[in-house]
Amino acid sequence: MAGQSDPHISLFSAEEVEFMAEDELIEIVPNMRMDPLNFICGDFGPFLPQIATPVPLWLAVALKKRGKCAIRPPLWMSVEKLTQVLEGERDSQGAFQALPFHYVEISRLLFDHARDDIPDMYMVRSLIEDIRDVRVHKVETSLEKFSGTSAVKIPNLSAMEVNIIRPFVGRALQAFYKHDNPEKIPDVDRASSGQTRVANNEPRRPLRR
Amino acid sequence: MKIKSVKLREAHKGSANASFCSILWDLHAHHLVTASSSEPSISIHDPLLPSNPPRVLRHHRDGVTALALSPNSTCLASGSIDHSVKLYKFPGGEFETNITRFTLPIRALAFNKSGSMLAAAGDDEGIKLINTIDGSIARVLKGHRGPVTGLAFDPNGEYLASIDSIGTVIYWELQSGRTLYTLKGVAPDTGSDTSILNVLSWSPDGETLAVPGLKNDIVMYDRDTAEKLFTLRGDHTQHICFMSWSPNGKYIATSSLDKQILIWDVNRKQDIDRQKFDDRICCMAWKPVGNALAVIDVMGKYGVWESVVPSSMKSPTEDIPSSRSKNSNGLLFFDEEDEEDQELSMSGSLSDLGEDSHGESEPPSRKRLRKQPVIDDDQHEDVYNELSSCTKTESRKKVHRINKESSDKERDGSRSMMTYRPKMQEAFQPGSTPPLPGKRNFLCYNMLGSITTIKHDEYSHIEIDFHDTSTGPRVPPMTDHYGFTMASLNENGSVFANPCKGEKNMSTLMYRPFSSWANNSEWYMRFEGEEVKAIALGGTWVAAVTSLNFLRIYMDGGLQKHILSLNGPVVTAAGFKDELAIVTHVSDCLPSNEQMLEFRIFNISKGTQPFKGRLPLTPGSYLTWFGFTEEGQLSSYDSKGVLRVFTSQYGGNWLPLFSAIKERKSGENYWVVGLNASKLFCIVCKNPDSFPQVHPKPVLTLLNLSFPLASSDLGEEALENEFMLNNLHLSQIQKRIEVMTDEGLDTTSLDDEAFDIEAAQDRCIFRLIASCCNGDKLVRATELVKLLSVEKSVRGAIQLATALKLPILAERFNNILEERLQSKTEVLKTSLPRSNHDRNVKTDVAASMALPATERSEISEPTLSTSSAKLSAPLLIKKVKSSDRVKFGKPKTDGDQTACLEDSREVKDAGKNAGPSQVNSVKEVKNLQTQRPSNPFLKLPNNQEEKKVEEVMPESQSQGPSNPFFKSSNKVGEATGVQQSHRPSNPFLKSRAQ
Repeated sequence: MAGQSDPHISLFSAEEVEFMAEDELIEIVPNMRMDPLNFICGDFGPFLPQIATPVPLWLAVALKKRGKCAIRPPLWMSVEKLTQVLEGERDSQGAFQALPFHYVEISRLLFDHARDDIPDMYMVRSLIEDIRDVRVHKVETSLEKFSGTSAVKIPNLSAMEVNIIRPFVGRALQAFYKHDNPEKIPDVDRASSGQTRVANNEPRRPLRR
Repeated sequence: MKIKSVKLREAHKGSANASFCSILWDLHAHHLVTASSSEPSISIHDPLLPSNPPRVLRHHRDGVTALALSPNSTCLASGSIDHSVKLYKFPGGEFETNITRFTLPIRALAFNKSGSMLAAAGDDEGIKLINTIDGSIARVLKGHRGPVTGLAFDPNGEYLASIDSIGTVIYWELQSGRTLYTLKGVAPDTGSDTSILNVLSWSPDGETLAVPGLKNDIVMYDRDTAEKLFTLRGDHTQHICFMSWSPNGKYIATSSLDKQILIWDVNRKQDIDRQKFDDRICCMAWKPVGNALAVIDVMGKYGVWESVVPSSMKSPTEDIPSSRSKNSNGLLFFDEEDEEDQELSMSGSLSDLGEDSHGESEPPSRKRLRKQPVIDDDQHEDVYNELSSCTKTESRKKVHRINKESSDKERDGSRSMMTYRPKMQEAFQPGSTPPLPGKRNFLCYNMLGSITTIKHDEYSHIEIDFHDTSTGPRVPPMTDHYGFTMASLNENGSVFANPCKGEKNMSTLMYRPFSSWANNSEWYMRFEGEEVKAIALGGTWVAAVTSLNFLRIYMDGGLQKHILSLNGPVVTAAGFKDELAIVTHVSDCLPSNEQMLEFRIFNISKGTQPFKGRLPLTPGSYLTWFGFTEEGQLSSYDSKGVLRVFTSQYGGNWLPLFSAIKERKSGENYWVVGLNASKLFCIVCKNPDSFPQVHPKPVLTLLNLSFPLASSDLGEEALENEFMLNNLHLSQIQKRIEVMTDEGLDTTSLDDEAFDIEAAQDRCIFRLIASCCNGDKLVRATELVKLLSVEKSVRGAIQLATALKLPILAERFNNILEERLQSKTEVLKTSLPRSNHDRNVKTDVAASMALPATERSEISEPTLSTSSAKLSAPLLIKKVKSSDRVKFGKPKTDGDQTACLEDSREVKDAGKNAGPSQVNSVKEVKNLQTQRPSNPFLKLPNNQEEKKVEEVMPESQSQGPSNPFFKSSNKVGEATGVQQSHRPSNPFLKSRAQ
């Protein structure tokens, strides 16, 4: 990840965000017997058939691809729960519903690799898409009202959403700052905005998956 | 006021719109038969186990409009829109014959008192009287101008009354077939709505005939004169559509188009209770025993209204007219009173919590008739209050227990149906779930895999899946033409069996190995005149228990090896390697609803029966799971959620090791799959389900085993539990070591396991001592210290006591340690009088101990902080010492485990045994190396193999608590002529001789 993008700009490609999300823990139900695995990030297992155990998402996906486990979709990925969240999102204009920080990525990975493990997969998928749309729309409208401050606080924003608005908000805040104190840091703004643009336009090498 | 409502559960679906449904009790209230005119199936429900799916009879091609059961409950008749009347055996449900056909739909059926004659009528113009024996039509009664909707034989056998949809009632004389009276327009005209059928009913004594009246009332007509006697008129706001006399004729239940049911006291001509429902009730039946009314509504939902008649009044089944009682089982009435109370609280509490059940009816309005005398009213009021309060408090208390118990029985939690008559539980297979129409169910689910089946029209489809797909064999799915309902599974194969269905379908046992060197090695056994009730599968054998109480044992090749007779009807069976365990009934259950069960363990390969005894259950529960732990301990789980494991402690006992009530998070049921030494594997089912579905694939949950400990003043239940579990495991391992030693097998790995547990036990005890000290329970602390197996831990405890400023306690601990050392030396001295004792003793507190001067001298180099009390042959000690010291550095890091090792002070009797055993000793060492390559001590002899190593042992096994296991060393034993044992893994056992 470090080699993929310039560390000075905190802007990631979707793949990179997804890569980070793969460290989230998720429950799997193995169908094989295996001793515990010792990783730098911790020990996982032991794996016993039909007994759920939490593992990082990347491991879950790897095992799933080999047909060694079933992934248990997280609790929030149920139709009822998502329907509630969607209603909540639609009802409140300002606030965001609490969803996992990496909900977009997790659901995406599960849709790609564990279709058979998600009950009502199409329903869940469309609900998540709806939720994402509503939230993105909300972010955009709330950013329109954004006025001169040095920081913006939006609770419950997810990784992907932050990632989308980060360059804009960063630059906007810089701009506000610059207008407030015109003599202070003209250079930073130019430098960072220039770099941002470069980072945006530059074709990226896709992550190996 | 009294909270009481009847919950209905669905019996028949197909009714999108209202259709006439029927419901019947059999004579002994063991079955409830329902049918709907929108569905061709007839369901026979077991009211005791409503979660069991009903037996479904699908013989009609169209909706079933009428049901009738012969008075002795052996023959069921059904009439249908498909114009046919069919007879079935009851309760089996086998189709017997199409007894007659009409040209239009049937609407009504009735048996006469003796069951010899069946009357059938419908949209055709005539009423057919059919001889049930040969099916001949005795008579056709013509006279009605509209479809006949109701028929009733006079209980005294003289008349038949019939009613049609336009409201005409006709009295027929059976003997002549003449019309006696025709009462035109006395009942409402139901028009063309076939979901409403006019009915009529004779009182059980036959003196009056009840007919719905035109003014939302019931009109009673005289038997002989057909004169109007009186009417029952009350709060029905629409026409009455059904009525039913209580078995004793004192009460009558009426249902009306206004969706209410009213219960009337016929003598007082008043309604005494009522209930409002969501849909119109189209049929009702009083329970022939007890105080309950079965109802079914036009949507096909049925339920049982318990305690219909207030307990202050006569039970509806008391004083049944003599003409009836000869058919009833007189015994039943005896304990009816007690059971009713039970029933009441049960139904009350269930209704309190059954929010999730469908079709809940509104609480009854308890408004009383104004004209009722005031005194009477108050009296009743009181009774009701009393009832309701007791119901409420009881229900609050018992909510969980009852719910759990009953939810096992009734899956949808919809309705408590009775239980009253305690019933011996039926045979079951551990890990099976009841069949559900159109869904897969488990025939067997264990730690290894599952066998599932789904029924199609003519055959079933069986699949065998292993949880571990990587190593388990792949078994192709199979088509099952036998209709297997029992199965068992292990690594080698699977066994199936089916009960007999009718005469053609014999009970069959099938074994199917997963891999065999020969083709076609699956085999079948057919049982003529007997039925397989339970099956079990073991290492190399298959067992089947049959309805004749035979235990049949087959080898896995199909050889019939043994047939034994069992003492009673089987409940269940389980197999594990060589062991077969069988549970049988000892006797009928106690009136308190306790099952009387007995278990036996058989060892198939040895042909022995190591244990038998009563199988304990929680009072009022029944067995739901039975099997072996992964280590081979027998265990059972009952419907109240108590898991028991059989141990040989105290001569063979069951220890309660888990209690769902303690564990339970609200709304969960545990469906046990298996267990190992410390965990219970189960599937968690959300209430009201008590068993898992095949899809989605259930996931096992691990629960910790725990003794149901009383909460102690120490507040350390977790530690105390661990303490007891460790004790249990230790005793289990000891037992196994004994067994293996007897068989001359190698017990090294078990020894290691025992060490680990002992070490863990010491840690646990140590923590308990700490909390005892903190909690000022000093006596308990000294008790605990006595249980420590490692001397080092005792010293640690002394330090702890000193640190906690409890000098008295430290003093006591010291005494204990001293006693212990002394007794040890005494043992050694007496057993080995000529031995020299050389000890390296701990440097710390032990200094205060009275030790022989020679031992002191050995401590002169306390290079080790660990306690390694050691007795070694004086000849060797100097030579070995230097290398010992080097090696001892390692064990320190091994912590407690090696502490165990070090602790076992052993004596060398070099002088006595050195000579003869020298020869063998080197071989011994080599053995040891292969057995425990990981043992650091093994390097010692390894490096110095040229040295003669000798194994010497104390003669007695009573070395002390720390070292209970010895392996007999035959070689030395032979050489010395003394039975000597040693612990191969203990390096201190070896002395070196040159």
